Amino acid sequence: MRKNKIAFLLTAALMVTGLSGCGGTTGSASQDQEDIRLMVWSPQNDQSKDRGEWLQTMCEAFAKEHPEWNITFVYGVADEAGAAGQVAQDPEASADVFMYANDTLTTMTDANALAKFGGKYREEIESTNSQEVLDSLIMDGALYGVPFTTNTWYMYYDKSVFSEEDVKNLDTMLEKGVVSFPFTNSWYLPAFYLGNGCTLFGDGTDESQGVDFGGQKAVDVTNYLIDLENHPNFRIDADGSGIAGLRDGSINAMFTGSWDAAAIEEILGENMGVASLPTYTLNGEEKQMLAYAGSKAIGVNTNSRYMVAAVELAIYLGSAEAQKAHYELCGVVPCNTELMEDELIKADEVVLAQNNTFNFTSILQPFVSKMSNCWTPVENMGKSIRNGTVTHENAAEQTEAMNDAMNSDGI
Amino acid sequence: MAGKVASAKRKRIINNSIVHVILAVLAVIWIFPILWVVLTSFRAEKGSYVSTFFPKAFTLDNYVKLFTDTTILNFPQMFANTLFIAVCSCILSAFYVLSVSYCLSRLRFKMRKPYMNMAMILGLFPGFMSMIAVYFILKALGLTEGNLIRLALILVYSGGAGLGFQIAKGFFDTIPNAIDEAALLDGCTKWQIFTKITLPLSKPIIIYTVLTSFMSPWLDFIFARVICRANSDQYTVAIGLWKMLEKEYIDSWYTSFAAGAVLISIPIAGLFLWMQKFYVDGVSGAVKG
Repeated sequence: MRKNKIAFLLTAALMVTGLSGCGGTTGSASQDQEDIRLMVWSPQNDQSKDRGEWLQTMCEAFAKEHPEWNITFVYGVADEAGAAGQVAQDPEASADVFMYANDTLTTMTDANALAKFGGKYREEIESTNSQEVLDSLIMDGALYGVPFTTNTWYMYYDKSVFSEEDVKNLDTMLEKGVVSFPFTNSWYLPAFYLGNGCTLFGDGTDESQGVDFGGQKAVDVTNYLIDLENHPNFRIDADGSGIAGLRDGSINAMFTGSWDAAAIEEILGENMGVASLPTYTLNGEEKQMLAYAGSKAIGVNTNSRYMVAAVELAIYLGSAEAQKAHYELCGVVPCNTELMEDELIKADEVVLAQNNTFNFTSILQPFVSKMSNCWTPVENMGKSIRNGTVTHENAAEQTEAMNDAMNSDGI
Repeated sequence: MAGKVASAKRKRIINNSIVHVILAVLAVIWIFPILWVVLTSFRAEKGSYVSTFFPKAFTLDNYVKLFTDTTILNFPQMFANTLFIAVCSCILSAFYVLSVSYCLSRLRFKMRKPYMNMAMILGLFPGFMSMIAVYFILKALGLTEGNLIRLALILVYSGGAGLGFQIAKGFFDTIPNAIDEAALLDGCTKWQIFTKITLPLSKPIIIYTVLTSFMSPWLDFIFARVICRANSDQYTVAIGLWKMLEKEYIDSWYTSFAAGAVLISIPIAGLFLWMQKFYVDGVSGAVKG
């Protein structure tokens, strides 16, 4: 009996799909309103009831502004880092409007799934964003999204241990308290090399120039890193040990991004300090650490059936008003230049640190395809220094090997 | 004489002690990760990294959070989705496997050998090789949106079951043909022989089949991920647990992740414990005299 029921349900379900397949095209254009169906993807955070359902609220506000369209929204969940993979898997069945991290841009352009913004839309985006942010979304002269936040990492510290003067230099900090750094993570470690004049693909866009992580300038950094790793007040941050150390008080400063801000504020409370990257002292000279930075943007699918509405929605979701709500509800740091002048937002330390890092102590993370060769060699360098296989004696040789690996296509 | 007995006894005691010590050490090593997950699921300190093996304080909050904090990661929904999919595909694929095995073991038909060869060769390829193709076929059928995703997953998990007949067929081969013939003489149809004679004699292999066909959909990640895509209301627990370890969630969700890992082992353990009693007494006493 039970089996029968299940079988019946299955057949019924199949029949329903068969019917709905036929019924889609009828019943439109009865009034002057155009029926539009827009699929929108965002991270779960933006749709959560706890955080005020930012996406739903914004989409409904957008629909109100456009009475000429009768919009049905379909929401899906895809975080910025993973959206590119989902869209590239099947662009046709993917969202019309989605959010992505700019380092995944080529994944989607390769799949021909990312629309270019032009004309008045491009002008509108350009008028409200800094050139650095725009550069992160421009490839071969075309603009591929509406930026809504920057994406980078910076420093959180305990104000009871370090003064504002201390946090300007890493070596000064190490004398006063315990500092943790994701030494074996290749998103973080290049900061030291970049700080001493190493470069990636020229200005980050010229693939033919290759990676320059070699020569005496890089060897000096490797030597500095070996000493840093051996410093009694230095801890490697891996598998969450940094934030755990902050929690039990054994660590006083760590490097991470806005995603840990809430947890750190809970731990340190009023003592939470946030700052852009410090300098470090290399052979008596101060060198500025430089983080990789990127942006997160709202993209439009080239396969969208309602292109105008999709582009308008993307612009709306990246507008000052929407960014402000995004910041208030979900703590997403805005990047709109008008919004930066807002007193309330200006006063937020995390926003300040993230924007200072983006503007002054970072380089745009290259998204040329050869960049994919650059992660593992640097990670291995960090791990080898930790394991003690890279020493002052073989630093020159090992640095050269890292540079060669970053410049080769081999695995 | 007495000395010899004593020394032999001593030798045995020494031998046994060594063996037991080795076994105990191995058991501890084997249990270690499981124990750690269970301990973590009751850990009161937050975060993914701890410096001590034993938690400093214990709590049930991690479990409570899984079932109450559903706005970001809806664990109860995922659990229900997975349970539904696993139960349905378990029933379907167990039926497929047993039927195919019975046919190949008892019936003689032209395609029997070619079918077994084909199944053997197809079985050599990993299933997820066809993943993207399967996705596009399901999409063409309109099964990749909304609640139909569940149906799609059930089809994916049970569709290929008929190829995994080898073990059950081997077992059916050991049941004497004489029993079937006796039943046939008494007027049984093939279906009746299958349901009334063969199946009751094959409890161990049925249990094995049911367990394995329950576990593969229950634990699968890769197909669920490819087919569910952005439909978060259709996520299975495997996707949910994976989400909890993303950098935005890991700090606040890590201990709940461990709690979730403990919870998903419960249905499997329950099924196994309940079915274990049928393992005993398989074929014994089937043929009298």
